[in-house]
Amino acid sequence: MSNFYKSVIEALIFSSDEPLSDSEIIRTIKGIDGEDAEISNQNVSDIIAELNTEYSDSGRSIRIVNIAGGYLFATKEEYSKYLGFLSNEKSKRRLSQAALETLAIIAYKQPITKPEIESIRGVNSDYIIASLLDKKLITISGRAETIGRPLLYSTTKEFLIYFGLSNIKDLPKPREIEEIMQDEDFIEQKNRIMMNAIEELVEKEDQENGSENKN
Amino acid sequence: MYKIKLEHFEGPLDLLLFFIKRDEINIYDIPISKITKEFLDYVNLIKFLDLETAGEFILMASTLMHIKARMLLPKEYDEKGEVIDPRADLVKALLEYKRYKEMSEELSFFESAQRKISFRGNFSQDVSNPPDDFETLLGNVSVYDLAKVFKRVIEGIKNKPVHQVKKISVSISEQIDFIFKKLEDIHQIHFISLIEGIKQKIIVVVTFIAILELVKSKRIKIQSSDNYNDFLIIKT
Repeated sequence: MSNFYKSVIEALIFSSDEPLSDSEIIRTIKGIDGEDAEISNQNVSDIIAELNTEYSDSGRSIRIVNIAGGYLFATKEEYSKYLGFLSNEKSKRRLSQAALETLAIIAYKQPITKPEIESIRGVNSDYIIASLLDKKLITISGRAETIGRPLLYSTTKEFLIYFGLSNIKDLPKPREIEEIMQDEDFIEQKNRIMMNAIEELVEKEDQENGSENKN
Repeated sequence: MYKIKLEHFEGPLDLLLFFIKRDEINIYDIPISKITKEFLDYVNLIKFLDLETAGEFILMASTLMHIKARMLLPKEYDEKGEVIDPRADLVKALLEYKRYKEMSEELSFFESAQRKISFRGNFSQDVSNPPDDFETLLGNVSVYDLAKVFKRVIEGIKNKPVHQVKKISVSISEQIDFIFKKLEDIHQIHFISLIEGIKQKIIVVVTFIAILELVKSKRIKIQSSDNYNDFLIIKT
């Protein structure tokens, strides 16, 4: 029976563009086979782990990831070059430093108002907030009960998907100020950023070479 | 002096953090006059480039100068009798900013990793998210194509007739008053001369109804006139 449900779960996840949660999977199975169908959250996560083992053992290019509170089929990193070539690479442009910075503040302090964001960043953030709203990475989640009842912003499910997080709690904890003071890793961090930039450059070149071949 | 690309700094706090790290300054003991001077050099540089951004940098510069001035004054003490460091607020803001800046770097690593994987329905997003750069958007559209479309649109506007609907306000009682006013000096009047000068059909119709009303209540009489296309209105 467990093997049968394994196939059912595989089919359900395969058919979905959106992350499919444990509870949706269980509800679907119980909806068909009745309330006493023997399936639990633990079963589901075990089955997913089994499926992933099978995929990797047989050298498949796909796996099931746990993202934004649900399961989703995803390709493995190794094939990103080929997929990028086929899809419209432009729509996968990276976020700017300012956008990442603003997102980080919203992610950790949500719900948060624009004035609070601006007081941390020290710069006007109208444009950045508008563009993050536009990309659906953040949303308006209400109004603060302070003077002027300013809008409150929070991150969205799209945010979790974009950064590959299962839950907002999966974000690494920001370091305490005392810790920051003790380290000397600023140079190292700059290097890491440089590495990212280089990686992007290489990707771009790859793509350009690719386009030439295509033509 | 180091050459710095300004677009690499997300704001005044970012620039200050850079100075602090570059010169290995102890953040709790910032040499405020040195930092202020350096900061001002950059503000002067960007003032010419981008006024809007410069505003935020100038605000920070004035904060720095304010701190510098307070450093020169006799020490201030808080309620507990401890010395207040004029730099404390700035340091707090810098550290808070740094916390989130670090997290933005973390996010950037997540982003990099995530960009390498695709989900089901990956390609449907290509259609739903049109590219936002001009090159791709415009495709093979030339300036002549745009001019052609523009011309067609403009001509289309010119040929379109414009209808305006005006509301005409008229009532029977108003027209009754109007008739009596006409009949004030003269005893009788021809219908044609009564409606002379009235341009809207609806007013003529309402005037006619007013006449019928007056006839009914026997306040006027009507009589056919010599001209068969007209009749005479007579005050009773």
